[in-house]
Amino acid sequence: MAEVTLRTVSKSFGATKALVDVGLTVPDGAFVVLLGPTGAGKTTLLRMVSGLDRPDQGAVLIGGTSMQGLTPAQRNVAMVFQQYSLYPHLTVRENMEFPLKSPLLRTKPAEIARKVGEVAEILQISHKLDNKATALSGGEMQRVSIGRALVRNPAVYLMDEPLSSLDAKLRADLRVELKNIQANLGATFLYVTHDQIEAMTMATHVGVLDQGRLIQFGPPREIYENPVSLHAASRLGQPRINVLPADLFGPAPAKATHIGLRPEQIRQGAGQDAVVKRVEHLGDQTRLHLTFKSHDLITVTSAHTDLKRDDIVQITPHRPFYFDAEGTRIA
Amino acid sequence: MSDPMAHRIAAATPPALAHRIRGLSDRAIAWVFVAPTIFLLLAVNIFPLIWTIRLSLTDFRTNRPNNPVKFVGIENYRKILTDADTWLSLQATAHFLIWTIVLQVVIGFALAYLINKKFRGNDLWTTLIVLPMMLSPAVVGNFWTFLYQPQIGLFNYVIAFFTGADPSSFSMIGEVGLAPWAIVIVDTWMWTPFVMLICLAGLRSIPPSIYEAAECDRASKWRQFWTITIPMVLPFLMLAVLFRGIENFKMFDLVVQLTGGGPGATTQLVSIDLKREAFEKWRTGYASAYAVILFVTVFGLASIYVKALNKVKDR
Repeated sequence: MAEVTLRTVSKSFGATKALVDVGLTVPDGAFVVLLGPTGAGKTTLLRMVSGLDRPDQGAVLIGGTSMQGLTPAQRNVAMVFQQYSLYPHLTVRENMEFPLKSPLLRTKPAEIARKVGEVAEILQISHKLDNKATALSGGEMQRVSIGRALVRNPAVYLMDEPLSSLDAKLRADLRVELKNIQANLGATFLYVTHDQIEAMTMATHVGVLDQGRLIQFGPPREIYENPVSLHAASRLGQPRINVLPADLFGPAPAKATHIGLRPEQIRQGAGQDAVVKRVEHLGDQTRLHLTFKSHDLITVTSAHTDLKRDDIVQITPHRPFYFDAEGTRIA
Repeated sequence: MSDPMAHRIAAATPPALAHRIRGLSDRAIAWVFVAPTIFLLLAVNIFPLIWTIRLSLTDFRTNRPNNPVKFVGIENYRKILTDADTWLSLQATAHFLIWTIVLQVVIGFALAYLINKKFRGNDLWTTLIVLPMMLSPAVVGNFWTFLYQPQIGLFNYVIAFFTGADPSSFSMIGEVGLAPWAIVIVDTWMWTPFVMLICLAGLRSIPPSIYEAAECDRASKWRQFWTITIPMVLPFLMLAVLFRGIENFKMFDLVVQLTGGGPGATTQLVSIDLKREAFEKWRTGYASAYAVILFVTVFGLASIYVKALNKVKDR
């Protein structure tokens, strides 16, 4: 396991700037989640670290050593691809054995069998080991792909949306399993996802990418509680942060154009009147869709609320975020 | 029948025809549609096959149609299988078959592997390489006889250039030792592009991301080639071998044009031998038996091979 450092890494594909001056350190044993919309450069960043693509500028270091000119094999990275990339002519078992059979490793057959069996157990694919890789569902293929990485002991695990094709229950199970594996092995993970629950539950650090730039990097709570920009603020939080005109509730700091309110930043029971438009009972909480001065906003309330459509709720902002016209946080 | 279109069609159909069609069941109509094809198949495939088997049991000769035809049982088959000349022809065919397949697979795959590497102008190279395949075998046979010509032939000149031998000291199609190789070379020249195209289709069917995964799994290029490229191209390669095998078992035009089966009987492939029996010696019964034997052989070999191919594909 090792620390991974990116220094002012830039990469363009033709006219498209995939990464711009990205600097980032993944501490040894950290679980770093990269968040960002499609096209933000998350996958490109993984490919830079893996060595499948080379940066136009900047350097990638693993364990303090420059990876300049080294192949993925020399870097000793394990990668889970978004499109699975299984070996279609091999069985599930053979797919998972493939990296262990590398002549570089000289793993004993008994050790290979033990390792594959163990990982298959965790990923709940033991009963599929002798199936052909192409005779699986999307979720199963994705788990085989994760398994092919987990059997190894690389410098860093790189995972590109590894849980995206799984059903909700399996996804929740594997979130816990992956986190356990990472914690037990002290492994370094660089993990790409759209899913903010994965980011909040698994990450020791979150990197928020937008249009090829790393706009914030830190522990997930810090990004949630202290976002540097509107974009970073809107990546985390369910329901999403409400963004409204800055002066909607009263005087705002100079230059502020927007006010950002997470559900817990909206105090209920005092302040100005808002009308309930919809009540969604989710079990452990209830979501309220409100209309306030002809703006829509969403907040949460207690699970057993008696509120219903067209009721009036008094709301007031509590320590809100303010953003300027560029989306930069100013208060 | 509320659809106005259906009403209009019904109204436009002459009453007699409408009645006749209505009188047929769906099954009968299906038969009406497939009957022409079945008739054609019976007339040009099945009937000649049965007729050939019938003739193979007689001493019938086409050039003496008025002679009485005698039923001889399996006598023709016995004669063929005990005739040393038949075995020489089969040997020549085996030599031709094995070497053309080996050379075409090795060179065809190598070319496909190179063409598949992205480089400037590889489309142009593909076109150039594929050209020989598009020529008529008669033309190819004819101009290779010129290339092989000892005094003025380019082939002899090139060999002489590299080995220092006298170009007119050997004749590719005139010498017993060289003629079997002469036909192998020409067939390889002409049909390697076909094997290359099929291999290329196989290589292009492998998604690049699989190589990326292998790269991350620390597989060397050598290991990637043997554990990914070869197994994934193998079904395509086997298909190419099947096509070339069947084609070359029946090889006739190119070799007749080049060597005419000579010198001696060194390049007398079974199809040439068969043609001589049937249309030079006019031993129709005997030739029919010969044809049946060849048919069973190629059909049997192909069936076994297709089974193996399916096994590879299902692996």
